[in-house]
Amino acid sequence: MAFLEINNVSKTFGKTTAVKDFNLKVEKGELVSFLGPSGCGKTTTLRMVAGFEVPSSGEIIIDGKDVTYEPPNRRPVGMVFQSYALFPNMNVAANIGFGLKIAKRSREEINQRVNEMLELIHMPGYGNRYPHQLSGGQQQRVALARALAMHPEVLLLDEPLSALDAKIRVSLRGEIRSIQRELGITTVYVTHDQEEALSISDRVVVMNNAQIEQIGPPFEIYNFPQTEFVAQFVGTLNAVNAEVVDPKAKILKFEGQQLQTAFSLDKLHSGDKVMIAIRPERLSFASQEKKANILKGKVQNITFLGAVVRIQIGIDSLNFYMDTFNNPYLALPKIGEDVEITCSAEAVLALKERKESQG
Amino acid sequence: MKKVNIFAWFIFILGIFYFFLPLFATLEFSLRMKKGVYSFEAFRVAFEDPKFYQNFGYSFLWAVLTIIFSLLLVVPTAYWVHWKLQKIRPLVEFITLMPFVTPAVVLVFGLIRLYGKPPLNLTPTPIPLIAGYIILSFPYMYRSVDSGLRAIDIRTLTEAALSMGAGWGTIISQVIFPNIRVAILSGVFLTFAIVMGEFTFASLLSWPAFGPYMEEIGSMRAYTPQALSLVSFGLTWFSMMIMQSLGRGAKGEEQIAVAH
Repeated sequence: MAFLEINNVSKTFGKTTAVKDFNLKVEKGELVSFLGPSGCGKTTTLRMVAGFEVPSSGEIIIDGKDVTYEPPNRRPVGMVFQSYALFPNMNVAANIGFGLKIAKRSREEINQRVNEMLELIHMPGYGNRYPHQLSGGQQQRVALARALAMHPEVLLLDEPLSALDAKIRVSLRGEIRSIQRELGITTVYVTHDQEEALSISDRVVVMNNAQIEQIGPPFEIYNFPQTEFVAQFVGTLNAVNAEVVDPKAKILKFEGQQLQTAFSLDKLHSGDKVMIAIRPERLSFASQEKKANILKGKVQNITFLGAVVRIQIGIDSLNFYMDTFNNPYLALPKIGEDVEITCSAEAVLALKERKESQG
Repeated sequence: MKKVNIFAWFIFILGIFYFFLPLFATLEFSLRMKKGVYSFEAFRVAFEDPKFYQNFGYSFLWAVLTIIFSLLLVVPTAYWVHWKLQKIRPLVEFITLMPFVTPAVVLVFGLIRLYGKPPLNLTPTPIPLIAGYIILSFPYMYRSVDSGLRAIDIRTLTEAALSMGAGWGTIISQVIFPNIRVAILSGVFLTFAIVMGEFTFASLLSWPAFGPYMEEIGSMRAYTPQALSLVSFGLTWFSMMIMQSLGRGAKGEEQIAVAH
């Protein structure tokens, strides 16, 4: 039995459906991220686990106990908020010890636990400071310590790094992950930042329009997206509408060019519409010997992105992006030059056809 | 070199005159009780009257009771409006502004008609008086608390406290109250000042208070009421200064000292 179960949970606000038929099982000690654009229902789902929203239907079970209608102050969860939510009138130690004081623990126990937490977040000596005397990153670490001080069974983080600058975000997410692993605490992490979700999660739940699009480990989400939305939302993608030419030979065509995929097209027929998805880093310039999966186009633009160089190639009326690692001695084509690019059949994903309402 | 803004100084001096000139005139008049010389005779007469202390004490008591019950009513209401009932905020704001459009005399007669006879005869008790004062203080108390609540993230702080197991009493007393302390104090000062000088409610509900006492003295004597006005003014200021210094002293900050 999973440690945290969210079974058939839906939530509506008036006529608006915020979350629809959400099903997820989280194992003990697992870190699962909810990833999706604003308004996709990820925060509402998290708030239902925290008890701040009551599901319109479905159930939420923590460690075998149905907590669907339990008030938030009786749930075994700790929460970290985007805006830190430290109590401005209390110093760091009082903030961390707040929950323990509510639980009427002894002063010695509170002091000991506060010190342990300050050590854990690498902020010993900060106990007597007030929130306004700390940086954003330090405040969020204190908020994390405060949430962990009570030994919650589930830790919930609602976009905890969104208010921080890029460098601190990267270092703090590593810190959160290592603390989570050290304590082995079951964690749900909400973010709209794909890099954040992919880098720290055991599994990622990609959400869109109040529903789950795909659940899987980061590697699977990135490399084998099951829907166009996941493919588009996670990473950069070349996506074009195409037609099945030969399902058995796995041949697809678009704009007069043909590509072969390694994935089964058995359920499709000649003439069926699909969407081809190829990651930019899976494309490369074709060598002279290469004969299959060749796309002919013209270089439109070259963008230097630091570690990567992104080349925009026009293929008829479509634009393809190709990423290549930066190398000071890289011989790049000139803008306007005719080029041939290629990719392996494994890089060509055939997804359900693009719908107008999406993306 | 910094330029002297003559216009700003002119306005400032004008404001000083506007504020202090009537006070100075009242003081000057109150010192003329003895013919031909300035003296504090009017003040001596006022302070020798035991009714002065009695009525001032009553007004002080009404003010304290009004502040206590007003806080108990307004703080949770304003908090709940911010936390869960944002939609009814305009309605609550409208209600709190009622004393500005409804004269005190209308309010007090309404109270007498409603609570001056069975089944709920409350006029022999000070309840209608305190209730009336609470209504009178609404615009000041509610707006002060409301502005304090606007300045902090009520929703997230409440949710953070809830997620750590806190109940509503703890949230209000340990999280919300200390963080809007300054706003509450400004509401308290204003309520105190209003109740100390209030006349209509106390007079029509027949309760002793400083306002009706001054009116009574004013109808019998010439100089003593001026002295009383200044005394009342000074005492109100003094009380407010004490409250303000108490507010400054109690920082509203909670600490757990950590050894390191």
